[in-house]
Amino acid sequence: MVRSKIFVVRRPNHQYRSRVLFAAVTLGLLLFAGTAAAQPVAPELGYKLSRLATPVQAPDFELKDMDDESHTLGNLRGKVVMLNFWATWCPPCRREMPSLEAVYQEFKSEPFVVIAVNEWETPEHVFPYIGQLAVFPSFPILFDRDGKVSQAYAVKGLPTTFLIDQKGMIIYRAVGGRDFNHPEVKKLIRELL
Amino acid sequence: MIKPFLGLIVLIPALGFAGQAKESRDPNTGLLSWKIEEPGLGIQFIQMLPDYVSALYSSRGLPPELIKGMAKYCVFGTIVTNESDRQLSYRVADWRYVTPDGTSHKVKTKTEWLKEWQSMGVNYRWSILPDDQTFEAGDWSQGFTTIPLLPESTFDLIYSWTLNGKKNHGEIKNLRCAPAKPPIP
Repeated sequence: MVRSKIFVVRRPNHQYRSRVLFAAVTLGLLLFAGTAAAQPVAPELGYKLSRLATPVQAPDFELKDMDDESHTLGNLRGKVVMLNFWATWCPPCRREMPSLEAVYQEFKSEPFVVIAVNEWETPEHVFPYIGQLAVFPSFPILFDRDGKVSQAYAVKGLPTTFLIDQKGMIIYRAVGGRDFNHPEVKKLIRELL
Repeated sequence: MIKPFLGLIVLIPALGFAGQAKESRDPNTGLLSWKIEEPGLGIQFIQMLPDYVSALYSSRGLPPELIKGMAKYCVFGTIVTNESDRQLSYRVADWRYVTPDGTSHKVKTKTEWLKEWQSMGVNYRWSILPDDQTFEAGDWSQGFTTIPLLPESTFDLIYSWTLNGKKNHGEIKNLRCAPAKPPIP
């Protein structure tokens, strides 16, 4: 099996069956929390992003947003892209969303964008979910319904986030939730701008 | 059947040592979780109620036969964390669960689950703990670990991980599958 270069880093870093069922799972959206599991000690949202040993060309894709409008990564050439893979059932995805929104707002006047790629779910799944969030995400949310984009990026777990430079090269990667509004993350973004 | 287990017993001293598992009971649900801290590795196993697991898959629109298949397993939410500043990796295929009769069994991997689901025409590929991951500093991941035992069954889990190129090994005694119904109504 060929190991994806996306994961070689530099040393020293539809539809719900019933409203009742949806409500039950929405309440239990925290995968290991709520009334259905013991309370885990969720890892702290750190801020370390790992730099790839060799930058890799980010695979291009075309995905639709909630308004059924298409977005391609190629059209974002010239911008720094924070590409985040997530799903509504993923607790750390929920925890890190406010920081994604914060960093998106902070760099709004710069050539920087956050793109959140939702895995396997539908706008009908996602819209009510984001409506419940404390901070409404204003960055594009795209739908990778068949998982092909996450496979192209060798994403094994959610959330996984990539920081792509203005030439379309993946420079940094983070597996697991992060506080993207941390000064160290913002420093990396500025270095790429 | 005992031979693979005996082989692992011989390997344990050579491969590393087990950290202490801290068992906790959720005061609201009565469900149990176990947290282990090893050099560089944090790992948690959290009981998941069968009904919750079924609801989770059902809400994704997945077919009844998939949900019935999951119902034959006890499910643990699993969080694996790289708590070092080095590269850390794990492989579920190297993990074993040991039933009270002393038999060692392989833990079913995500690849095996996906193959089964694909035979049902389902392409859903999330929720199960990834087969293997290589973490850099700060990375962590979560997913389900599945054990084909009845509710409230007990077993030992032998897990392993590689830190900075060195393979390590640990064991949690007396992990317990969640009960069929919530212990605290």
